[in-house]
Amino acid sequence: MKVLLQSCHKALFVCSLLLAAAQVSANGDIGEHVNHLQDNLDKYTKEVNWINERIDAMVDTYEAKGAEAAESDKVVDIWESVLFHSAIEVNYVPIYASIWQGLYGVKEAIDAEKPVNEVRAEQAALEQSLWQALGAVKLAALYQQRGLLEQVKTTSGPTTPVATLDEVKQRLDRVVAKYAEKLPDEATGIVHDTYLNLFEGVEGALIEQDAALVESLEKDFNVTLPKAIAGNGSVEEVRGVVSDMQTKLNSAQELLEQAESERKDVF
Amino acid sequence: MQRRHFLQALAGAGLLGSLPLTAARALAQTPGALSVDDLPALVGELTLYLGRGEGGLYENVLEAIQKRNPDFKLNIRRGVTAALANTIVAEAQAGVRRADVFWAVDSGAIGLVDEAGLARKLPADLTGQLKEGFRYDNWSPVTGRIRTLPYNTDKLTADKIPASVMALPDSGLSIGWAPAYASFQSFITAMRLLEGEKATGEWLKAMNKRGKNYAGELGVVMAVERGEVDVGFANHYYTLRLKAGKPDARVGLAFTQNDAGCLVNASGILALSEGDLPVNFIRYLLTREVQSYLASEAYEIPLVDGVVPPQGLPALDTISPPKMDLTQLADLRPTLDLMRRVGVL
Repeated sequence: MKVLLQSCHKALFVCSLLLAAAQVSANGDIGEHVNHLQDNLDKYTKEVNWINERIDAMVDTYEAKGAEAAESDKVVDIWESVLFHSAIEVNYVPIYASIWQGLYGVKEAIDAEKPVNEVRAEQAALEQSLWQALGAVKLAALYQQRGLLEQVKTTSGPTTPVATLDEVKQRLDRVVAKYAEKLPDEATGIVHDTYLNLFEGVEGALIEQDAALVESLEKDFNVTLPKAIAGNGSVEEVRGVVSDMQTKLNSAQELLEQAESERKDVF
Repeated sequence: MQRRHFLQALAGAGLLGSLPLTAARALAQTPGALSVDDLPALVGELTLYLGRGEGGLYENVLEAIQKRNPDFKLNIRRGVTAALANTIVAEAQAGVRRADVFWAVDSGAIGLVDEAGLARKLPADLTGQLKEGFRYDNWSPVTGRIRTLPYNTDKLTADKIPASVMALPDSGLSIGWAPAYASFQSFITAMRLLEGEKATGEWLKAMNKRGKNYAGELGVVMAVERGEVDVGFANHYYTLRLKAGKPDARVGLAFTQNDAGCLVNASGILALSEGDLPVNFIRYLLTREVQSYLASEAYEIPLVDGVVPPQGLPALDTISPPKMDLTQLADLRPTLDLMRRVGVL
């Protein structure tokens, strides 16, 4: 059973990679290196080690000299200065969000002058996310080598309702990432944009299948998720709302897939 | 003009000759839309700029046309309708033409391209298939949508709703609306053109005190159904689709009379390049089969004669939409300025 669950998890993960690769970074210039992951794996590995060393040094300084000397603001500069940043962003946004969560976990623990063992716990969580992210990028590189990963590019958008909901789910991952980056306005902007430009285009077809499901997702998009973001709660709270929405969107995809298979032919 | 007289006029002008014989015979013999079987095969390559439409159903139509015509290749560039219209105009200004055909979800975008002098004149036998009031020289409406007032049937009956949209703010009813929504803004543009800027500004101000905001028009219809508001503004298909998924939904449709409140807007298509291929491609969209498909699957209103409208909607000739050139709806900027000025946006 455990093996089966692991296989399922791996399949979902690979699926996420394949879907996420077509996504354009919301952060503008991401660099051509993301289309040549295999060639850059050594560089990414070195970068992950470098980040871990820098954060470790920061925590050491905190332990020895206190919060001010640790210069916790630098966690963001450290992360944004590496190429690996965009490699994971375009390939697996959920872990990208966890990295931001980890970075702020360390920063906020230092700023709050928490006991060093609590800061170390946050540091360990960050390291775990970074290694997990490197694993995801290595897997993505493998699929890219086999030609199974699309070039990262601007797409003209999904053409079916099911593909549209895939993109909606990816954008919701990005909402969590932006919230974890402490960019709540940007996160809210993505929610509104996703609703108006993507979800709204398929909810007419969905309401024919399950009116209650649409009612529930309408509320999530327009009330629950914006409220969770504005409420300044933890990343976990926002991730929880998004996760519930993604579960509902999975049901929506099944319903739309079934409806499409039963649809009459044009001619 | 009666159809028989119209056909006689076409025959007299020798215009039926521009169609293949079978198509000309079918048009002469059958009332209403042609069948796809009457059309010539499409041969060659076209580039279509497609404004995003009804959740994949336009894609199904395009796929079916390509499948039926193995020697026809359709390149599709998809995007937001208004952005594609601007791209076409910009490309023309730069001296390039990448699109052969433009299918837009709203006629305002068509107006923008037509106004720039880029649309080719369509043959009269094609535009003549459309219902009266929807015949334009340089573009063809594909399907229509009507502005409606969905109302909560537990709280109201249709006769309690004013027949004039201008009277709604004084009706005492609570009203749901989605001012940021493109269809709503087209409706306000129509009001501005029909009633004038001052009256529209006053109406918006009065409505702003009474209206409850929603992000989209399906949201408006659902709020009406829940009883959050008595009545709302929305395109007709949202209510029909809700009732398809929830047959006992407490929502009915009311129509105002001869004003912007019951405007019939349309998706439209135009040819940007010369030749028979773009025109014949457009003919496929006006066939009985495609019009019926979009009516039954997307709840859109067929605009050629002889095709049954979607279930749950009164026949188009029982509604009294205002007479207006739909391409004028391209004049959106003054509408947005007005909405901002009165604090609605």
